[in-house]
Amino acid sequence: MKKKLLIIPSILFLSILLTFFYLLIIERDPSAIPSNLLDKNIPKFETESLLRKERFISSKEFGNEIILVNFFATWCLPCRDEHIYIKRFSNEKGIRVIGINYKDNSKKTIQWLKNLGNPYSNVPIDKNGRIAIDWGVYGIPETFIVSSKGIIKYRHIGPVTEKIYKKINLLIKEIE
Amino acid sequence: MIKKIFIVILSIYSIQFFSNNSYTVEPNEILENQKQELRARNISKNIRCMICQNQSIDESNAPLAKDLRILIRNKIKDGKKDEEIYKFLTNRYGDFILLKPAFKFNTLALWLLPFIFAVIGIFIVFSHNKKSKKI
Repeated sequence: MKKKLLIIPSILFLSILLTFFYLLIIERDPSAIPSNLLDKNIPKFETESLLRKERFISSKEFGNEIILVNFFATWCLPCRDEHIYIKRFSNEKGIRVIGINYKDNSKKTIQWLKNLGNPYSNVPIDKNGRIAIDWGVYGIPETFIVSSKGIIKYRHIGPVTEKIYKKINLLIKEIE
Repeated sequence: MIKKIFIVILSIYSIQFFSNNSYTVEPNEILENQKQELRARNISKNIRCMICQNQSIDESNAPLAKDLRILIRNKIKDGKKDEEIYKFLTNRYGDFILLKPAFKFNTLALWLLPFIFAVIGIFIVFSHNKKSKKI
């Protein structure tokens, strides 16, 4: 009986080893933080718009169709990398994209959009980063899918890559 | 003269080097009301900087940490309670923003397991002792 019990520690050790190995090989980002806003209404905000004279009022813009919200800035290099995918969302897929301009210079942003193309239907300005805090944003670029009812369905932190682009498209189809 | 200046500079640096309570609150952020400032500091020490995740916003130089420090101070000036400020932040960033996790149902294991393990450990040590005494 006692000898049989001695096997238990080695089995325990082996199972711990296997768990750690499993956590090592699966694809996960331990520093990624789940959004607290998932399945919740978007935070309401009102601010100036970069390209239009009238103010941006969130309750007027959201709630009719699926919208991608993309936090971006000209000083953020990954934003430039993902720009091609943001353009594909609006040009190829016909999805409305709202680009929140985070702590940026308006003149530079207008030039940036002229050079790289403008995928955004509207560009609200977040001058002091206060809107981003309401969205729980901590590292731009960040992209959110907002359902036609104005509910946040998905959040991606970091630049959109080919893989994320496909994932977002799938998710949008599911939501529709 | 040069020696004196050298000693002064050296002592200033050594104070900086040996003082533990380093913080990054900038002079223009500090509230005039000392009680309010103390409250702000205490809250900031318990709020995680989401960019450099093992630092509190009290220690972090990240722009977002600064924004949050200012936001906390503004809320204190507006007469908000500490709990309201914590709730504001966790509503947006989740419980992860708290450096000290809340005592909740899903953190029960986190808080209670150490005590349970300690009890088990004491039990094992005692029972082992009894056995060895018999021999």
